[in-house]
Amino acid sequence: MRRRRTVKFALLYLAAACLSCVFLLPFLWMLRSSFTELSQIFEVPPRWIPHPLRIENYKEALTFVPFPRYFLNTVLIVALCLIGALLTSSLAAFSFARIDWKGRGFWFGLLLSGMMLPGAVTLIPTFVAWQKLGFYNTFVPLIVPSWFGGGAYNIFLLRQFYLGIPRSLDEAAAMDGAGFFRIYRSVIVPLSRPALVVVALFCFLYNWNDFFGPLIYLKDASRFTLALGLQQFQGTYQTEWGLLMAASTVVILPCVIVFLIGQKSFIQGIALTGMKG
Amino acid sequence: MRNNARRNQICGLLFAGPAILGFVLFTLGPMVVSFVYSLTDYSVFKNALHFIGLRNYIRMFSGADPFFYKSLKATFLYVVMAVPCFIAFSFALAMLLNAKIKGVAFFRTVFYLPSIVPVVASAMIWMWMYNPDLGLINSLLKAVGLPTSLWLFSEKMVIPSIVFMGMWSTGGTMVIFLAGLKSIPEHYYEAVEIDGGSGWRKFIHITVPMMTPTIFFNTVMGLIGTFQVFSEPYILTNGGPNDASLFYVFYIWREAFRNSSMGYASALAWVLFVIILIFTVFIFKSSKWVYYEGEGKGA
Amino acid sequence: MFRGGKRFYNESVPDRCSAWHRKQKGRADVNQLRKKAIALIAVVVLTAWMISACGSGGGSGSSASSASESAASSSASGGAGASPSGQPASISVTAWGDPVVQSVFAKTIDQFNESHQGSINAKLQIIPTDYDTKLTTMIAGNETPDVAQMESATLAYPLAEEGKFLDLRPFLEKDPDLKIEDLAPLHGYYSDNGELFGLNSERETFMLFYNVDMFKEAGLDVPPADPDDAWDWDTFVNVAKKLTIDQNGNDATSPNFDPKRIKQYGVDFGKWWGLWGNFVFSNGGDFVSQDGKSFGLSQPEATEALQKLADLINVHHVAPSPTQAKSLPGGVNSLKTKKVAMLLDGQWMNLQFGNAKMNYDIGALPKLKKPVTMVVSGMFTIFKSTRNPDASWQVLKALVNPESASELMVTGNWLPSKRDWYTDPQILQKWTNNAYHPKGFSGVIDSILNHSVPTPTAYVKNFNKIMDLVNPALDKVWLGETTAAEAMNQIEPKVMAVGIGRRDVKM
Repeated sequence: MRRRRTVKFALLYLAAACLSCVFLLPFLWMLRSSFTELSQIFEVPPRWIPHPLRIENYKEALTFVPFPRYFLNTVLIVALCLIGALLTSSLAAFSFARIDWKGRGFWFGLLLSGMMLPGAVTLIPTFVAWQKLGFYNTFVPLIVPSWFGGGAYNIFLLRQFYLGIPRSLDEAAAMDGAGFFRIYRSVIVPLSRPALVVVALFCFLYNWNDFFGPLIYLKDASRFTLALGLQQFQGTYQTEWGLLMAASTVVILPCVIVFLIGQKSFIQGIALTGMKG
Repeated sequence: MRNNARRNQICGLLFAGPAILGFVLFTLGPMVVSFVYSLTDYSVFKNALHFIGLRNYIRMFSGADPFFYKSLKATFLYVVMAVPCFIAFSFALAMLLNAKIKGVAFFRTVFYLPSIVPVVASAMIWMWMYNPDLGLINSLLKAVGLPTSLWLFSEKMVIPSIVFMGMWSTGGTMVIFLAGLKSIPEHYYEAVEIDGGSGWRKFIHITVPMMTPTIFFNTVMGLIGTFQVFSEPYILTNGGPNDASLFYVFYIWREAFRNSSMGYASALAWVLFVIILIFTVFIFKSSKWVYYEGEGKGA
Repeated sequence: MFRGGKRFYNESVPDRCSAWHRKQKGRADVNQLRKKAIALIAVVVLTAWMISACGSGGGSGSSASSASESAASSSASGGAGASPSGQPASISVTAWGDPVVQSVFAKTIDQFNESHQGSINAKLQIIPTDYDTKLTTMIAGNETPDVAQMESATLAYPLAEEGKFLDLRPFLEKDPDLKIEDLAPLHGYYSDNGELFGLNSERETFMLFYNVDMFKEAGLDVPPADPDDAWDWDTFVNVAKKLTIDQNGNDATSPNFDPKRIKQYGVDFGKWWGLWGNFVFSNGGDFVSQDGKSFGLSQPEATEALQKLADLINVHHVAPSPTQAKSLPGGVNSLKTKKVAMLLDGQWMNLQFGNAKMNYDIGALPKLKKPVTMVVSGMFTIFKSTRNPDASWQVLKALVNPESASELMVTGNWLPSKRDWYTDPQILQKWTNNAYHPKGFSGVIDSILNHSVPTPTAYVKNFNKIMDLVNPALDKVWLGETTAAEAMNQIEPKVMAVGIGRRDVKM
């Protein structure tokens, strides 16, 4: 038995290690290019250890655009979006999963259908409306939608999770006189922690790396976000690849950290003590 | 009972209120406007809307547009290949990462990395790997004597190449599967062990049924997402070779912003909308296989 | 639920029934009201959307007409930049985000603002990516800039056709510093009715780059720089063959040559219209016939040129497998690492070649029937909706002036827009006497002045839509799956369906 276990673990490790090589490639290429001179970056086959090692890429990249400014802007937007999305999407998902009300299916379906129309054709009307309301060149169009449901994706995701939580828990709470909000707060939210962490993670990553929203809705370069700042290294005909890779490495570092922290919460899972299966 | 129905109605609407309001304000409005555009020859630069009725739609379906059917076919092929591959691969990865081996946190991050790395960096790597003369993949194949391919430059292989590439960026789907796996109570597995069941039994009788809501979610989302694939044609192939990867949303974007035909692009978008809707409704309706622990019935 | 249940059992039945009925009716009323309210809100919101989205079109229309009136009056009076209120005229400028060029533009604008303090304040807005999309949304949302960089193949002509740009000819006529004659040939873009709506600040043309050492080692004569002495096609192919070597050391002229195991290629070239267009023109062809009525690329002059290029890959094996226009940037590297001997590409490559510090030089493109090169360029335009046409003109003039962007000329990034930069030996010294402009560059000067033709984007109607049909067809030609003639003939009916036309312009 012991032997089978170790063999199994060894195989798992092997599989994970092999796969890791491929998964790491884009990141490694990015890292190595961030230390490489522009003329050497695209040598094929790639030279994995850059020679000479160009640390100046980082200095130049971080001074080419006002990164501290962009960082603050990004943190502001991401934080507000995160809170708004978590709150409103979990409430909405609870409503769709746990409360029986007329029109529930209709509205859920309608919400979902919003994801089926490519954004390219709704861009103009959306932009024009925000501009007419006077919010062009502000963060409002980037933050407010998160406070109104935060996207059908999150709502659908959480709904699926909530549907997997046994109703008997709700009923037990109701028996103790809990209203919907109490059930939501004390029963559903704690039990769906992995899903909430996933939503938070996705929300963070999406908003951190979104350059298109800021591109369309912002005018002053001082209001740009990190993701949009990265685009400034890319020209229509020429790109400062070394600087771009250096800047990209710095920008995605928080994402990696957030992910490392977040994925610890998956480990907990659900502790369902006293539950009969 | 009726007291509760009333209370349910109010609370239901209240909780979902912001989301519904948000939908009406930020999504429904622009959707309706884009539908109106689809009945015009609007180009954004023109000063007034000029209604042409269903002419855009007729142009599409009658074959007057040389790209419409080609684009639909390419997109369908992609969806049919991508969805099962992505789901299976990310599920397998999640299972792998669910194991209690040391350093699993490291592997989880590594597997998720391609989803965080800027698309441009990933694109460069894959362009190198797929390079017909000097790329990694062909070099490896040549070394073991297997036939090589032009990959992204081959009409036949470009879509499978893009699907294969996409598999490595399914970190998001994998994470959702992982969260789902983590939600399965331990004692379910223990129960099977006590009954003398093996790993396979556990998988079939516990893991898969308990994961059906997640599989369902990822399938629906996968469908909606893959139908709207955009960055690969945009960054890598420009729709080629010979329009073999002229995926639909890339085509819409091209018509809307490069060829300044917003009206026609809107009509194209609405056709896609209907297609995705049909597929999604079909999946929902046939989802009796989804087992919800909390409900005891299908979606 | 259980609590409600307890209450249920305590009440008497008749009471409950009537209470229930009353509640039902009450609920029905409330439901009705609620439904009506929702419907009302929905209608209001939707109407608001419709008005806002559709009204914007009408709005910009009216502002355009009023702007053109004020433009007419102020250009007649030749007024200075400042608006009547005495505040400096605020001019917004959009440009795309080429990183090297960005800082040059920023400097130009800063210097301009300094020298025009108090009267004009220009604000530069770099759009880092998706320029066309962002500009389209800005125009739709009434946030149109005053001066804008424009891509000739995409937005420029649709906008020009809607009369969104100011005609720049009156400005040039009245301007004391800049006249049309001062500009290098192919100086800008004209609309269907002959209005000059865009002036280019830079232009590009095409040439042959080669690794000098590889030619020396092979003992071959280097390509001539003077376009009048340009190689004819057969000479060119022969040289390329001698420079294409397989793993066993045989070159492509040898009977033992193995095309499957090539380690060095004689030539590489881009597959976009900018490159192959040169050869179509060189062979006496065109994208559109002279009378504007038929498809030029399916004519023998054009298909011959295309086929000759494709044969370099598939018949003579002197050029590597097709790579797309958006492929790995690697032209310079392939020359530096001696994988390729010659590169047919655009002038801007001088920047990379210069930076790579390698022994390279420039030759004239091989000719088919006559030596011809194409000039392509972007442009700057002034939108009619500007409130300060004269101030806008001053800004545009500054951006177009090669003096302000001289470092871009020096580093081989751009070619200047003024004629004397090509003809005056003193000025030529200034920007061409450096590592970015090797000996052969003199041929480029000659080419621009005497052998250049305008980019097809300037006069071919529906250029973009036609290219959407041509490019995929050409994919198969580069792969050797069809001949150029077959491919072009196959798409000809579709091209005619899109609409063929020619703008009669003299640049």
